[in-house]
Amino acid sequence: MNLRLIGLCAVLILTACSRTPPAAPQASDGWVRLAPPGTNVNAGYLRLHNNTSQPLRCDGADTTDFGAAEIHRTVVDDGQSRMLREQVIEVPPHGSAELAPGGYHLMLFRPQKALTVGDTVSVTLRCGETAVDAVLTVRAA
Amino acid sequence: MRLRLPPRQRIITFPPTVSSTSNPNKTALTVFLAALALIGGVLAAVFISAPKTTAIESGTLLQQPRALPAFSLVDESGAAFTNAQLQDRWTLIFPGFTYCPDICPTTLGLLKTVQAQLGERADALQVLLFSVDPERDTPEVLQRYVHFFSPAFRGATAPEPALREFAQALGVAYAKVPGETPESYTMDHSAALVLINPRGEIAGYFTPPHRVDALTRDLGALLESRS
Repeated sequence: MNLRLIGLCAVLILTACSRTPPAAPQASDGWVRLAPPGTNVNAGYLRLHNNTSQPLRCDGADTTDFGAAEIHRTVVDDGQSRMLREQVIEVPPHGSAELAPGGYHLMLFRPQKALTVGDTVSVTLRCGETAVDAVLTVRAA
Repeated sequence: MRLRLPPRQRIITFPPTVSSTSNPNKTALTVFLAALALIGGVLAAVFISAPKTTAIESGTLLQQPRALPAFSLVDESGAAFTNAQLQDRWTLIFPGFTYCPDICPTTLGLLKTVQAQLGERADALQVLLFSVDPERDTPEVLQRYVHFFSPAFRGATAPEPALREFAQALGVAYAKVPGETPESYTMDHSAALVLINPRGEIAGYFTPPHRVDALTRDLGALLESRS
């Protein structure tokens, strides 16, 4: 009983400490594959860190560098490669999620500027009340 | 310093067995050894006379390659791509389409790496993007797309019903999935790569997830053994 109480106190103190810098979900390692010329679709990848004690649920994305951005997911199901639309990324408290080739990705439509290796694209993920800004760097295919 | 076990721990002792030198046992031993020799001989003969097969780790080789019926596609330069273009070289067919930002460029990028790792052996290998989306993938689009990955990569497609006929002959399935606008549809398609031998027959399939190392080993072995 006492141990539990001490444990609870420790958790409370740690939680209080971790609040010192405002905890917010963050995106890292963002990249976009350099697309073949004339292609008007592209895919964005990143790692999403939920540094909060609440589950994170992202169901959309905005960008001014492309005409539109959506969260998609590639699945191989019974030997068939399919692309699923309107996907939701759920990240548990203090967990992370990866958007990577062959799985969840940001589907980016109609680039608004010609992109070359090293260029960056800004995307904002819509996660309920929270908006997570991500910078994606263009990489060679 | 190497750790050595004391000798006594390496000797495994059994309770002494009752040994007999009686004749029936000797005969049994002779028969047993003869049988063993016979089995060994038979196995060796089977091993030596068996047709040479190459095991692959990233897919399945057909025991009997399957011939393709006559087909005619349109390639990335607008020219006909028929059975003749599959002769005298190995071909790796990737069913896909260019309006596909994730798995298609990922796979073509991977095949580019495999091609580089194969080095000179890749000269005997042709990589073909078989587009299941002829509506959007005109020869110009296909050419820009495949040549972005490698100038050696080919692209081909065909209008219906030639598309479906060739896909069925390959064992490739595809389906159009409507999007929010008439232009934003997507295509479901088989994720396997189809391997065609230099006689233009289906030799096997590479199944996902595709990996550079396994594909390079498998294709390298095939190109060396049978080209």
